[in-house]
Amino acid sequence: MIETREIYRHFPFVLEIIFYVVAFSTIGFFIYGFYRKYQKYRKGREAGRFNNLAGRFLKAAAIMAKNSTVFKRDAYAGFAHWMIFWGFVVLFIGTVIVAFDYDFLRHLNLKLLQGNFYLGFSFVLDIFGVLFLVGLVMMMTRRAGKPAQLDYTRNDLAPGQYNRKGYATDDKIFLWLLFLIGLTGFFIEGIRIAADRPAFEVWSPVGWSLAGLSDMAGLTPHANSAHIYMWWFHAILVMFFIAYIPYSKAMHMLVDYANLMFKDDMAAKRLPRVSEERMKEGMGYKAVVDFTWKELLDFDACTKCGRCHQVCPARNAGTPLSPRDLILDLRTHANATIGAPEWFTQAFSPDKKQSGKLAGEIIQKDVLWSCTTCMACVEVCPVGIEHLTSIVNLRRSLVDQGAMETSLQDTLANIGEYGNSFGQSEKKRADWTKGLSFKVKDVRKEEAEYLWFVGDYASYDTRIQGLSRRVATVLQSAGIDFGILYEAEKNAGNDVRRVGEEGLYEMLVEDNMKALGKGKFKRIFTTDPHSYNTIKNEYPEYGGNYQIEHYTGLLLRLVKNGQLKFSKKLGYKVTYHDPCYLGRYNGEVDAPRQLLEAMGVELMDMPRCRENSFCCGAGGGRIWMDDSKMKERPSEIRIREALSLGGQVTHFIVACPKDYAMFSDAVKTSGNEGRMKVMDIIELAGEAMG
Amino acid sequence: MNIIVPIKQVPDLVEELEIDASGVDLDRSSLKLKLNEFDDHALEEALILKEETGSTVTAIALEAEDVDKILFTAFAKGADKIIKVTGLENPSAHQAAQAMAEVIMGLSPDLVMTGVQAVDDRDGQIPVLLAHYLKIPHVSVVTSVKAEGGGVTVSKEYGGGLVAEFEAKLPLVVGVQAARQSPRYVPVAKVRQVMKSATIEEVAAGSTSATAGSSVKRFFKPEGGRGAEMLEGSAEEQASKIIQTLKEKGIIK
Repeated sequence: MIETREIYRHFPFVLEIIFYVVAFSTIGFFIYGFYRKYQKYRKGREAGRFNNLAGRFLKAAAIMAKNSTVFKRDAYAGFAHWMIFWGFVVLFIGTVIVAFDYDFLRHLNLKLLQGNFYLGFSFVLDIFGVLFLVGLVMMMTRRAGKPAQLDYTRNDLAPGQYNRKGYATDDKIFLWLLFLIGLTGFFIEGIRIAADRPAFEVWSPVGWSLAGLSDMAGLTPHANSAHIYMWWFHAILVMFFIAYIPYSKAMHMLVDYANLMFKDDMAAKRLPRVSEERMKEGMGYKAVVDFTWKELLDFDACTKCGRCHQVCPARNAGTPLSPRDLILDLRTHANATIGAPEWFTQAFSPDKKQSGKLAGEIIQKDVLWSCTTCMACVEVCPVGIEHLTSIVNLRRSLVDQGAMETSLQDTLANIGEYGNSFGQSEKKRADWTKGLSFKVKDVRKEEAEYLWFVGDYASYDTRIQGLSRRVATVLQSAGIDFGILYEAEKNAGNDVRRVGEEGLYEMLVEDNMKALGKGKFKRIFTTDPHSYNTIKNEYPEYGGNYQIEHYTGLLLRLVKNGQLKFSKKLGYKVTYHDPCYLGRYNGEVDAPRQLLEAMGVELMDMPRCRENSFCCGAGGGRIWMDDSKMKERPSEIRIREALSLGGQVTHFIVACPKDYAMFSDAVKTSGNEGRMKVMDIIELAGEAMG
Repeated sequence: MNIIVPIKQVPDLVEELEIDASGVDLDRSSLKLKLNEFDDHALEEALILKEETGSTVTAIALEAEDVDKILFTAFAKGADKIIKVTGLENPSAHQAAQAMAEVIMGLSPDLVMTGVQAVDDRDGQIPVLLAHYLKIPHVSVVTSVKAEGGGVTVSKEYGGGLVAEFEAKLPLVVGVQAARQSPRYVPVAKVRQVMKSATIEEVAAGSTSATAGSSVKRFFKPEGGRGAEMLEGSAEEQASKIIQTLKEKGIIK
């Protein structure tokens, strides 16, 4: 006997024809759904993501194969998703093999599914079928526990103002449909095996066991008729599922592969430029067709996993922004205007009708202004959504309209007028050096190995100027040859750009590049992670290519090559706060830690650290805006997190001037003065030098 | 309505001010100039009126160094026309008002809105002088201008937090203290765009007959006092020392 199984077992020919008619119409429905999506994306602007297609394809394939982005910081969900994913893929391939064998090879008098191949095939499919079901059960269990990240409650609207039952229905249908498809698949197999009991079918362990169950339940005498009913039930579920894919959350199976493939690795770190042409009509996005096709794809890619919702400092502070809801609102709007049909969506009450200006009304301006551009959402998103790009493009439109609070407006005007956010004279930029015992070189006149790009806060903020002097003293005593640009330095523009004032940003880049061009230096270091990011990642697009590092990296190198000696072991127990623009944006998480180790302090990391650091709330221009309406400031939340490490941690170490300002305040406003000392890493360095 | 907004630049107080060699003026070579804050508010209130009533707004300034920038910015914010009055060399405020009024007359204004004062004013009378030379009524220290009927309703601030509302017929000169909202922000890109595309209309100033009104005798930085004396002792003792000192200085008898 040749090991195989009968396809369309005991089917009258007519039924077989009916099945093909149903199957092809379903596939037509499926293709139509995606065609509508494709048409929608085509209405978006060019995104410039077609370079290195093979590399992109393989990179996305690797992420998918490992489910690495789903596993990240959530092993349970990652594991469950991995099982469902591979279960689905293998079962799908199995089905394709069956179709290929029956509908193609059969006509050439060939057959694949027989003998050992058939046995192996049966075995593998059974195993992956089990993985598939176990994964689904794990996900169902997870949802039954109602975890906060899967709660669709909005931050910005009252319960009666919106309805998201559609989302919850979709979640249920998706899980149950897959589960029933897997389960009925096994039932068909079991009942088929029960009918004839070929001994080789022990290679289908699940089917074999179910056949045994069928015997026990006395179903086996009716096996042949039960099989055909079960087969059709299974087939109808599958057909429904295929038709459902493009109109529901199931689309993520295909859309998210594309989204990961076309993701920009520099997303958020390097914001898109605005062409001169577009500048004429205003910098920002005014309508849905202003989005690029990748941004439109982003909106569809969201699976509502809620990870961005959980990590967002603005959301945690009780502002109206949730990156998840922003993306979903943009999806709803895009589908309603240039749309592809969506079966399960959110609805709004009449007073919250989504109409009017895209930036300001459809997406409320408070939502957009709440973002600290900390990039946590982009970093955590398992499917490659670039929330920040959309936020900044919409903020650009708010700047076009002048729809911003007065303090921000004044700050932008100050930066435009004086090159600094403090509204102080440019001539006073280097006043902080006056308290030093030596003169800091002016690299416009004298040659120096290092140019120190000081930045606004370190230059003008009276709380930070002392730290700047400390940096200068430490470097001087280590024999480092450095200088500054004096009044020729201007705000580097990182946060100006993230506010959405692109014209002002370009002006700052021009001015700084002019000043840097005249400076006589070999390389740059900066004490400001924000300046670091834009000079490193964004200036090159304007032709400004500099070798730049953060001062923690420079100090560490000096320690390693012996130029800087820490003679004292400090022995403090400290925690270290990774600045967003250093850690998450630029992956610089080790140098500060190694530096702390060299000083002999004991570092205890907070639960959220390194790339997963929690923003202080100052970035993206937030430091120039009002934060009095927040439930709890992100900086205060962070201090609470540091205190949760226990009483032995006495120092909160920062490596960013804005962090120093934010956390020094937060310790006071949260009533924890005396319990936690905020210090810049340079202060510890000074101490350790003895 | 045809709204004319005369604007000017003033020394930026963020920078250190220096007195020049003559001793009666600032050292203008080291000055940084910026738009007079009150004029900015006048322009803002005019632009709000434009949005409410569909008026046209014309910003007008006397020729000066870098004055194009504030005119282009006014255009970028929403002014329909920008005019530069040329040919006056260092006019006094009174001459400036006269020359400006002559040009404005030719524009047949309904409403002239300008800043109530400027940091470099000697007498703060520009709105009054404009009204004088235009021979039309004037209201100053105004915080809102609203179109009503054929005229306007203006709110004028008095000391002690009092506000009066005036109904006024047009044409009218208004000295603006503050606009209803803080002056709008205009993106840098938009100003740069306007600089490329908009044109400043130039009008030559006529001859002026006005005099300066006043002249500067001496220009000097605030002078410190000649020392202070700390009084000690009980309240009575301190009080009697104060009286004694005041008598010694001949302030009381």
